[in-house]
Amino acid sequence: MDIDDILAEVDSHAVPPATRDLQELTRAWVTERSAPEILPWPDMLMERILERLRRQIELVEEQTGNTDPKANFRLIIIQTELERFKFLVRSFLRARIAKIDAHALHHLTDPSTKARLSPSELQYATAHTSLLHAHYHSSFLSQFPTSLQRMDDTAGGISMVEGPDVDKAVFVRALKDVEEPVYVEGTDTAFDMRRGDVVVVRWSAVREVVMAGDAELI
Amino acid sequence: MYGDHAFKLVQHAKRTQALVHLPHYQTELVRETTREVRDLDKDVSNILAPFEGSFNPSSEPATACSVLVNHLCMRRNKRCLLAYHRVRSDKLEEMCWSGKDILDQEQQAGRQGNGEGSGMASEAGNQSSLSPEEEEYIRQYGDMLAAYKGQWTDIDLTGSLEPPRDLFIDVRVLKDAGEIQTEYGAITLTKNSQFFVRQGDVERLIAQGYLQKLS
Amino acid sequence: MALPLPPGLTPPETAFLCEMEMVTVIPRQRLEGLELLGGPIPPLNPPYRTPLPLWLALLLKRQRRANVLPPPWLSPPSLHSILDFEKSTPSFSPPLPLPPHTTTSPPFLPSATANAPPDALPYHWLELGEMLLEAASDDIPEPDNVRRLMRDLREVRMAKMRAGVGVLEGGREVNMNGVGGMEVAEGRAFIGGVVDGLRKIGASKEMSRREREAEERENGIGGGEDDEDDMEI
Repeated sequence: MDIDDILAEVDSHAVPPATRDLQELTRAWVTERSAPEILPWPDMLMERILERLRRQIELVEEQTGNTDPKANFRLIIIQTELERFKFLVRSFLRARIAKIDAHALHHLTDPSTKARLSPSELQYATAHTSLLHAHYHSSFLSQFPTSLQRMDDTAGGISMVEGPDVDKAVFVRALKDVEEPVYVEGTDTAFDMRRGDVVVVRWSAVREVVMAGDAELI
Repeated sequence: MYGDHAFKLVQHAKRTQALVHLPHYQTELVRETTREVRDLDKDVSNILAPFEGSFNPSSEPATACSVLVNHLCMRRNKRCLLAYHRVRSDKLEEMCWSGKDILDQEQQAGRQGNGEGSGMASEAGNQSSLSPEEEEYIRQYGDMLAAYKGQWTDIDLTGSLEPPRDLFIDVRVLKDAGEIQTEYGAITLTKNSQFFVRQGDVERLIAQGYLQKLS
Repeated sequence: MALPLPPGLTPPETAFLCEMEMVTVIPRQRLEGLELLGGPIPPLNPPYRTPLPLWLALLLKRQRRANVLPPPWLSPPSLHSILDFEKSTPSFSPPLPLPPHTTTSPPFLPSATANAPPDALPYHWLELGEMLLEAASDDIPEPDNVRRLMRDLREVRMAKMRAGVGVLEGGREVNMNGVGGMEVAEGRAFIGGVVDGLRKIGASKEMSRREREAEERENGIGGGEDDEDDMEI
C-alpha cells in the first residue's frame, strides 16, 4: 500500500468539512440555548456557515421555476434543509441577543464578557443601552438630583449593574474523561467526569470544561 | 407615606409582566414618585445646611440617621421607577421582535384598559397607553432593530423560533381554485388533484376550504 | 425580549435535534447525490441501503420514495429486555456507550441506523421512536407492541426521575447517566428548579458556616471540629 492509498483511506473516513461545521454549529446552538451566560462568538465557523447559506440561497433562486419534477424534488430537499439551517442560526443569534439585552451594561463593562460579543452584537448592545438610558432620562431621571442620575451606582455596596446567575443548574455531558475532578466552588464537593457521564450541576462548576470542549451542555 | 407611590408602580410592573397587552402608562404615579425624590433631596439639603459642609456623622448620630433614611428612600424610588420602565420597554421590544404593529396593539390595549375601570385610569383624552417618551423610544428601537436585522437578511432574524416542520405538504384540491403562483411557477388547482407544495404558499387556500392538507 | 423561551432546549427543539440522527433507508426511487449545507448526500439506488439524516428519511418516506429500516433496538424483543432491566434497578439502564477517541456525541453518532446495537437505548430513543412510529409504522415490525413497550419504558423511567429528585442534596452534582434527550427537555424545568432551590437554601448555610470558620480562626480554634460536623451530616 503506498502513501496515496493510505491518504485516500484516511480521507474517506474523515468527516466532510460541511458536516463538521453543522456539528459545531449545532453544539454552539445547544450550548447558547442552555448556558446562563453568553459564550464566545464562533467567528470563523459563522463566516463559513453564512457563506454556504448565501450560496445555497442563490442556487435555489437560480433553479426556481424549473418544471422538471425530478429537479423539483431535489429543490424541495435543498429548501427543507435550508430552512433547518436558517432556524439554527436564527435561534442561536436570538438566544445571544436575549442574554445581551437582559444584562446590557454587564456585557459592555465586564471585559471578559465584552470580548465574547461579535462586532455587530457589540454595536447593538451599545446602541440599545444608550437608547434605554435616554429613555429613562427623558421619562424621569432628568428630574432627579444630579447625584442620583447615574446608571452604575454602587452605593451601599450594591452595584446597579447586574450579571447573569452563573450558578444556575445545567445538564452537562462529558465528551472526554476529564482529568481533574470537577470542584463545585463554595461547597466541599468534587466529582469525576468520564466520557458519556451526564450530571446536573451549577454552570460555574463546569464552565471551564465546557469551554475547553471536554464536556457539552444538553 | 414615603415609598407608597413607588410601591404602586412596582405592583403595576408585576401585573404588566403577566399581561399580553401593555396597560396605560402611569403618568401621575411616575410624576409623584419623582417629585418625592426631589422633596427628599431638598430635606437632606435643609438638614445639612446648618453644618455648612462640615457635617460629622459620628458626632450627630440622629441627624446622620435621618439623612441615611432619606437617601435610602430616594434610591428605592429610583429602583422602582427603573423597574417599572424596564418591564414596559421589555414588553415593547418583544412586540417589535414578533413583528406586531405596536400602534395597533396599544390602541386595543387602551380600550381594554379603560374597560377594566381600575382606580388608576389615565388622564382623560389620552388615547395612547404609551407615554410620549415610550413612543419615541420604541420608534428608535424599531429603527435600530431594522438596521441590525438588515445584516441578517439571509436567515430572517425575526422569523419563527419554532423549529421548521413540514415545510412542504401534500394537499388535495376540494374545489377548483384556478391558477396559483408558487415558487416553482404556476399550478392549476383542479378538483381532486393532489400536489406536494410549500405550506406557506397555500395556507390561505386551506383556510378558505379550497385545499385539504393530507397527513 | 429577543427570545421568549426558557433556557435549555424545548421538546420541539429536542425533536429537531433528533432529526439530525442518521437512519438507514431502502430507496424505492433513484436520486442523484446532493451537496447539502450539512454535507454530501449519497446517490440513492434501489434497493441499496443508504444512511440518511432522519429529517430527509422522513421526507422521502412521506413521499413514498423510500422505506426506513428501523434500528434494531426499536423492536419488541429488544425493548422487552431493556424494560425488564429498567424495572430491576433504580438507575436508568446503561446507555449506548459513546465511542472512544472522538468527542462526537448524539445526534451525530450512528445510534439509530440498521447497524446500531440492539441492547441499549440511545440518547434520542423516545423522540426517534415516536417519529418513526408516526411516519413509518408500516416499516416497523409489530408497531403496536413497539408503541406499548415504548410507553411502558417511558413511564418506568419517568418514575425514576421523580424518585431521584427526592434524594437530591444541595450543592452536589446529580448523576443522570442514561437519561434521554426528550426526558431532559421535559424534566429540565423541574429538576433544574429543585437544584437551584436547594442551592439557594444552602447558600445562607454556606455563608454562616464560612463566617463561623472565620470567627473560629480568630479565636485560635482549628478547623478540625468542622470536619467532624460534616461527618455527622
